[in-house]
Amino acid sequence: MDSALKALRQAQVDWRMLLMGGVLVAIALSFNVMTGGIFLSAENLYNIAQQTAVVGIVATVVVLIIVARHIDLSVGSVMGFVGVLVAYLMYSKGWAWPAAALAGLAVAIAVSVYQGSLTALLGVPSFVVTLGGLMSFRGAAFLVADGKTQPVTDPFFLRLGGGYDGAIGVTASWMLAALLCVAVAFGVINKRRMQHRFGVPSNPVWLDGLMAGVPIVIVLGFVAAMNAYQIPNKDAPQGIPIPVLIWAAVALGLSFIVRRTRFGRYVFAMGGNPDAAALVGIPVRRVTLMLFALLGVLITVAAVVSIARLNAGTNSLGTGMELLVIAAAVIGGTALAGGSGSIVGSVLGALIMQSLDSGMLLLDVSIGSRMVIIGQVLIAAVVFDVLYRKWTGEG
Amino acid sequence: MTTTTPSSPGKAPLVAMRNISKAFGGVHAVENASVNLHPGEVVALLGHNGAGKSTLMKMLAGAYPIDAGEVLIRGSKAHIRTPADAQALGIETIYQTLALADNLDSVANLFLGRELLTPWRTLDDLRMDAEARKVFARLNKNFTNHRVPVRRLSGGQRQTVAISRALYFNASILIMDEPCAALGPEETRMVGELIKQLKAEGVGIFLISHDMHDVFDLSDRLAVMKNGSMVGTYNTADVTEDEVLGMIILGKQPEGKTQAERVNG
Repeated sequence: MDSALKALRQAQVDWRMLLMGGVLVAIALSFNVMTGGIFLSAENLYNIAQQTAVVGIVATVVVLIIVARHIDLSVGSVMGFVGVLVAYLMYSKGWAWPAAALAGLAVAIAVSVYQGSLTALLGVPSFVVTLGGLMSFRGAAFLVADGKTQPVTDPFFLRLGGGYDGAIGVTASWMLAALLCVAVAFGVINKRRMQHRFGVPSNPVWLDGLMAGVPIVIVLGFVAAMNAYQIPNKDAPQGIPIPVLIWAAVALGLSFIVRRTRFGRYVFAMGGNPDAAALVGIPVRRVTLMLFALLGVLITVAAVVSIARLNAGTNSLGTGMELLVIAAAVIGGTALAGGSGSIVGSVLGALIMQSLDSGMLLLDVSIGSRMVIIGQVLIAAVVFDVLYRKWTGEG
Repeated sequence: MTTTTPSSPGKAPLVAMRNISKAFGGVHAVENASVNLHPGEVVALLGHNGAGKSTLMKMLAGAYPIDAGEVLIRGSKAHIRTPADAQALGIETIYQTLALADNLDSVANLFLGRELLTPWRTLDDLRMDAEARKVFARLNKNFTNHRVPVRRLSGGQRQTVAISRALYFNASILIMDEPCAALGPEETRMVGELIKQLKAEGVGIFLISHDMHDVFDLSDRLAVMKNGSMVGTYNTADVTEDEVLGMIILGKQPEGKTQAERVNG
């Protein structure tokens, strides 16, 4: 028993993440009881996953922005601007969707790097720069098409937003799940082998087994749920919705960047101690600019998914999204003081918020009460964060 | 590592900082200051807070740009604009603040800015872990919790991480800014031993310290600064503690003592 505890302590088990997962499960089970089994039905889970994707995609990268001691209040407005622009180029200018999306990408990167460079090169607080951006780019979203809604009709493009044809089907879903499970298992085995080779101590087998087993069970459970949902007038179940697939790919990609690349490590170092980062020779400005460029890329991805989901680009697209995104990051354990946060946390944070909203909707809670409750949950998450840091001595 | 005897004549110094000036706004932090350092030598830099010693060293370390003056490393003019430039010249710095990212573990901190990469340009964590273990063990046998954020480490362990950077990357020029300020007696002794060991290996060390005992125990020469200017540079053995204090407090050069700038070794 003692050795098990010791192993757990040294294994860098992320207790906060486990607890958040527990909270999500508790929320889901409670709502399921209260709604008489509707909450955990395949249809509802499918909808929650699909509805969370846009906020989830942007939240993954906003975690890194906050970790680096910056903030971006303009993500909703920039997404609206880029979304309308892409829809406008397709509908009013007749561009093919890849060309329109690339143009949107270029504009999003330009906007993000412009705001990032004011922060990185001139030291203007990102709060102020992006507060200005929040207003300007909402205006720009109006100017692009003179406030007119731009319908999106390309059938392939629409699939990116999910919906009726926007899922990959049963077979592809299972194959993807199998691939992911093999990758997780292989990753853990490979890690143990390399640790052995370098003489670095490994976790006990049962712990590594658990660390591989839990994600595998989650993936299989999720795919089983998505494959159980069939739209009544279709002849096959849906499988994984494409926006969720995009979100998963983004989250995996960013987790890889955080854990395995210099860039990711520098972002955390800059957030932990900006002075030290500069003194040891980290190119702080360049890393900050790259970070904002990455934000631009993912805002474009989110813009494409959301106009595909709404079948149109409107000038109100993404209004208020910055708050949801920051809330998802914070509920997911990202400290606004910088230096700590995780991509998985943002995924859990976004899911917790959407689950609360969806569950209360099923229970016919009014919009006013829902906003009151979700706002207080955000505060509870921050209170917990403060207490957790006190207990663990994270200062 | 080449071992040059400190007194070999005619050799260019390891470091020659000549007529260095630096102003922050209207404040002249360093004015026309010159100092040399030779292989295997410890030069102590002394002065009140704000005398300019840390600023002078930060220019050598690439943390601040130099306004005027020149730096010669091993006899040739060096252009140090960034910390990376200084590191490339074999200059390592142990800052008083230690310059650690508190949220990262000690292995990440040791390699911060100079990570070991796999052939796929990703972080080679295991190789860094294995290398770090060796360096840490050399300095502090009791230090084994390498994988916790450094904020949870003791003062001595944090110092171990900071010093390990200089050791691992084979510094030939080492700047130590108050290396013992946060340490207990045992750890202070360890740092003293280390300085003597590095000195024997031919490393040149600039030691910023307020502790007279350390200065007289460890340094070969001492340079005193006041209000941004160099008061004088002397062989440590030639001056008394009172004379040094006179230089620090009054900016007064001791009478009848010859300076020891050692421009030519």
